[in-house]
Amino acid sequence: MTSPIGGIAPIGIGAVSGVAGAQTGTPAAQGTDGFAAVLASSFDRMAGLQASADGMAAQAATGDLKDVHDYIIASTEAKLATEMVVTIKNQAVAAFNEIMRMPI
Amino acid sequence: MAIFDTLGISGSGLMVHRKWLDAVSDNMANVNTVNPYDAEPFRERLIVAQSVDYGSGEGGVRVARAEFGGDPQGRVVYEPDHPLANEEGYVRYPDIDMGDQMVQLLMAQRGYQANLAVIERATSAYQAALQLGKG
Repeated sequence: MTSPIGGIAPIGIGAVSGVAGAQTGTPAAQGTDGFAAVLASSFDRMAGLQASADGMAAQAATGDLKDVHDYIIASTEAKLATEMVVTIKNQAVAAFNEIMRMPI
Repeated sequence: MAIFDTLGISGSGLMVHRKWLDAVSDNMANVNTVNPYDAEPFRERLIVAQSVDYGSGEGGVRVARAEFGGDPQGRVVYEPDHPLANEEGYVRYPDIDMGDQMVQLLMAQRGYQANLAVIERATSAYQAALQLGKG
């Protein structure tokens, strides 16, 4: 059962290193956990973007927001990051299922 | 260089044009501000934009500083009934041209809209790229 998971790791790294690795600058893609570490760092980044968007939403509610577009850009970025992480996750799960369906 | 760099760069453009709008509105608001003859009149506010190098920095633009424009002497107007007038009946108005301010307003507005359009297009481009993974 461990060999299919080992097969997923290079797929995940190839899919994510161009985005999360370049973004955070961390060598997570080369970690021992492979795809899990990459996905975790992507989630961390997504959580950070969502937190900043949430902070701006609170500022907008309290009247402290100076620039409307800052909030819109932050929420757009958070939305895009979420979509990207979900897409990568779906791809990895699809690859995993594909391998699991492989007739042995 | 972040992943959604375009959004940040366009955001800096929005910031500069928003400040330009602020400066124009400040000038418009003070177009009839009267000062005594001996005092300095309200000076036209100008925004100086400076590009941020994309190669070494994060790209985009920023406001380097605000400067004063117009004639530092302002317009000397003869209004003897004005409470701020001196013995000869003169006061100072700011040297702000309404036509010039309206043109600047249009330019700032269009620049703001252009940056918003870039954000919109970039967002749909990123989403189209993500559609690659949904096939």
